[in-house]
Amino acid sequence: MSDKEEIPKIQRIVAVLWPSFLTSGVAMIIFYWIFSPEELFPELIASGVGNMAIYSVTFLFLWMTTLTSCLLSCYFLRPCNRCND
Amino acid sequence: MSSSEPNSPNQEYDSLYAKRKEIYPREVHGIFASWRVAMVTLTLGLYYILPWINWGEGRQALLFDLPNRKFNIFMLTLWPQDLIYLSALLIISALALFLFTTVGGRLWCGYACPQTVWTEVFLWIERKVEGSRPQQMKLAKSPWNMNKIIKKGGKHVIWILFSLWTGFTFVGYFTPIRELMHAVPTWDMGPWESFWIFFYGFATYGNAGWLREQVCIYMCPYARFQSVMFDDNTLIISYDEKRGDPRGTRKRGSDKPTDKGDCIDCSLCVQACPTGIDIRDGLQYQCIACAACIDACDDVMKKMDYDPGLIRYTTLNEISGKGLHIFRPRVYLYTSILIGLILAMSWSLYTRIPVSLDVNRDRNILYREANNGDLENVFKLKIMNQDSKAHKFIITMEGLPGSVLDPDEKEITAASGETANTLVRVRASEDVIKDRSTNITIKVTAVDDEKLTDEEDARFLAPADWFR
Repeated sequence: MSDKEEIPKIQRIVAVLWPSFLTSGVAMIIFYWIFSPEELFPELIASGVGNMAIYSVTFLFLWMTTLTSCLLSCYFLRPCNRCND
Repeated sequence: MSSSEPNSPNQEYDSLYAKRKEIYPREVHGIFASWRVAMVTLTLGLYYILPWINWGEGRQALLFDLPNRKFNIFMLTLWPQDLIYLSALLIISALALFLFTTVGGRLWCGYACPQTVWTEVFLWIERKVEGSRPQQMKLAKSPWNMNKIIKKGGKHVIWILFSLWTGFTFVGYFTPIRELMHAVPTWDMGPWESFWIFFYGFATYGNAGWLREQVCIYMCPYARFQSVMFDDNTLIISYDEKRGDPRGTRKRGSDKPTDKGDCIDCSLCVQACPTGIDIRDGLQYQCIACAACIDACDDVMKKMDYDPGLIRYTTLNEISGKGLHIFRPRVYLYTSILIGLILAMSWSLYTRIPVSLDVNRDRNILYREANNGDLENVFKLKIMNQDSKAHKFIITMEGLPGSVLDPDEKEITAASGETANTLVRVRASEDVIKDRSTNITIKVTAVDDEKLTDEEDARFLAPADWFR
């Protein structure tokens, strides 16, 4: 791949942040469609942690997971001949 | 590079690590600009007003109540198990988008996409504070002085306030907005509500203030695949090359030069473009079909006393003289599927039985032995009353002859829109249990209306070593 065909930096950033955000959103909807926080974390609920906090932490956790995956994809997509430089 | 030059692909590659070229779209007036203002007012008006509307006493008309796991959509209350309707709604929206795209091209992008409408508002604020396009460009080039600090700073302060209001409204779709409003003065919204207000606010500020056309180019999946819905009969915004070329400048009021076309090469179409392309280079995926170039060009044509429509909504077939064909098999197909889906979903919603039962095994123990030696399984029942009034429900069980439900024919009341939780035990003696796992059916029926009923299957489990 020549340098002229390089992908703009903003496109790389967006390609990591954005698909991971979308997929973790979908994953979270499906997950909490099946399970409710009351079933999964009865102790947390009983100790006064709200559903909003549980949903938010789950979402952020999922996002960080999918983001890591996107980041690694982006990293491994680097042309191999660069490794020799 | 002058700012009126387009973002052609080669230039994009050349300016690889250079800073992105700032685009200052020129303000245009005209029929399509008016349409866009109307659409911005309608869509954002709905966005900011809808969460404040109540349907029924104290019941927010649109509330995706995550803490209580129920969605208010006007007269309807949907629960997690109604996700099918949400999916159907998304499929209908996607099909509608396909239909609109097939007929009218990227109408969504130009007039209704949140990115477009919020960017319009941000551009409007920018123009109010910094002035017209030339004034904005002059300000950007000028050294940092008091005037520049006040104008740039003022713009960002207004942008941020507007973004925070946007974020607040967004959270208001998930947490009752009136309670949220009361909590604002004392900053008592709850940590996660505050987090999401700032998160969504920041996303609005970043996307509409800074990223703008880059969102459409790099982030939008629709922009990538919309071209597959295009054919030669799809309305696109196009420059009439036959009429316009060869381009050339000329004096206003002078006779039309015989060696030139109608395009006076004023570059106003390029200056008006929010994505910084030159529509005269043909259809490009960066074009969001906002029609700002049409308005800009028609205005020039009028001043030159030429016919409007040098840049216009047209189809590839029309521009090559084959005429307009709006109604074609693809359009009929999309329309009929769309109507079919809408009818099916409406019918399903109309005939929906507004009670649902959720049966979960008590996770702590699979089975246990009762005092008299019988085997017992415990189930947690959730009865969701989605009707507009309270009902008393009776719980029954079938599927394991010789077993008993404890408490038998238990009655439980659930208020309108509420969930009633209860525990039931299924008890059976060893001689009636024929298998390690037996399917049973637990059923709830409203006492005052036997049509209001739901059932769910569960499994009665016994020790595996009984059947070895």
